[in-house]
Amino acid sequence: MQPPVERPYWNPYAAGFALGLVLLGSFLVMGFGLGSSSAATRLAVGAAHLVAPKATEANAYFSQYVGPGKSLFEDWLVFEVLGVFLGGLVGAYSAGRLKSEVLRGEGVSKGRRIAFAIAGGVLMGFAARLARGCTSGQALTGGAVLSLGSWIFMMCVFAGGYLVAPFVRKEWR
Amino acid sequence: MNVLPLYPNDAFGFPTGLLVGTLIGFAFGFVLERAGFGNAKNLAAQFYLTDTRVLKVMFSAIATASAGIGLLSGLGVLDLSALTIPETFIGPHVVGGLLLGAGFIVSAYCPGTGIVAMASGKWDGFWSIVGVMIGSLAFGFAWGPLEGFYRSGAMGSVTIAEVLGVPFPVVAAAVVAMAIGCFVGAERLEAVFAPKAGKVAPHSNARVRHVQFAALGSIAALGLATLALPSPKVAVAAKPIARIGAVELAQRIVADPQGLWIVDLRDPKAAGPERIPGTATLPADTTPAKLAASLPATRTLVAYAQGDLASLPEGFATFPGDVLVLSGGYDAWRSAVLSAPQPPADPTPTLVAQFRMRSALNGYFTGAAAAPPPKLVVRAVAAPAPKKGGGC
Repeated sequence: MQPPVERPYWNPYAAGFALGLVLLGSFLVMGFGLGSSSAATRLAVGAAHLVAPKATEANAYFSQYVGPGKSLFEDWLVFEVLGVFLGGLVGAYSAGRLKSEVLRGEGVSKGRRIAFAIAGGVLMGFAARLARGCTSGQALTGGAVLSLGSWIFMMCVFAGGYLVAPFVRKEWR
Repeated sequence: MNVLPLYPNDAFGFPTGLLVGTLIGFAFGFVLERAGFGNAKNLAAQFYLTDTRVLKVMFSAIATASAGIGLLSGLGVLDLSALTIPETFIGPHVVGGLLLGAGFIVSAYCPGTGIVAMASGKWDGFWSIVGVMIGSLAFGFAWGPLEGFYRSGAMGSVTIAEVLGVPFPVVAAAVVAMAIGCFVGAERLEAVFAPKAGKVAPHSNARVRHVQFAALGSIAALGLATLALPSPKVAVAAKPIARIGAVELAQRIVADPQGLWIVDLRDPKAAGPERIPGTATLPADTTPAKLAASLPATRTLVAYAQGDLASLPEGFATFPGDVLVLSGGYDAWRSAVLSAPQPPADPTPTLVAQFRMRSALNGYFTGAAAAPPPKLVVRAVAAPAPKKGGGC
């Protein structure tokens, strides 16, 4: 079967409006917006629990996720993130963008790019737990309901990004 | 009246919620992909101002959703208080935001867009999610020394509208105005920075932009217009009578004495000197309605008579805070709290725990020493109740 031809991205304002409707719809139906990082956390804690169940349950932070009578799948956001993956997959395939590759700047090796992706991911995973959410659960969700802390968080995300951007500029030349 | 949001209003149960949640996630992932957020280059470009797609999409989404929430709650179809408002913790939000921003530009994804990139076959997206998982675990390992900071600067679920003391739709309209201002500014910056980096500034379709600005402005304006409507809150005034048991009330008095207004509705002469500790009695020259109107709604109002109350006294139904009636009245208080509990004849862990609790309450309210617990015979272990997990 021939994969679909590549389609352009949506106009950012139209995409943002559509994203806003999804966010609003989630509030109207579920009473909460969207999430991403908590599912990754649950998956990670679940993996740690498989390797070392006792030690994981003994950790005061992890014990909120695992232990007797608790399930990693008791949070609907885990299923929501499964939906994000499927939606991304269908979106990428139907737009002809489903392609196995490592996106990187000119002259940047694959290994270097992956090291940066992991390092940035570690920072974000830590930060998202500290701030009780990421760009989805705090910035978008809390932003829409005008949560004071979420707006402070969002401003700090942009500030942190712009502060560090000059130092990693050559990754994207 | 307030039928939305559906799930907190029990329109459907948890299993259906998981399916609906998956569908919402599907739409989220699809739109993120179409917005170009499955590609690290589009995300990194935000921080070099060559393409401010991230800002345009994110602020459009936030402005759309908050203006929509303002409009629907203003019309009285959406219950604002049933929405989950992320709680504010100043220190963790500042530090977490800065660190997440740094991680964002280093990995060129955020957790949500990393998942979409992974779904699009981008291995850098996959590895960024592996990093997020490692970072989550690192946070758990550092939990001991971090816990104090994690809980610092707690302000509860507070919105910017509450801080400013203005209605929600006013702030939502300000968000829309700010977003449009940012878009105009961002397009000017693109025109400066993209050529400097040897790139072409992204083409902006004027028609789409104008339609979107007009749509956002209209929703925000309609939200503001609902403020002129007669207050939709009036229809909510007839509350069903909510009851609290004597033991539960005793527990709440011990745990949080500043959280309750307890009002004795009995005739002071007939009732004698015995009353529930912390009770306000009705002065001779006032009515229950006047008393209720004089109390701030920051606490839960609890009313009791000698026996059960069939209906709320006049004026209590319109109390803006929570109102509870002591089930069984003072008689129930006397038999459940003031008289010493009998040790269970057939001690199971649950019954023994209950006896201990009742005995402690009895001692607290009568000044008597708590009775020694009966010998425990282990029969069955009660399953712990599942706890809801929080998170992003």
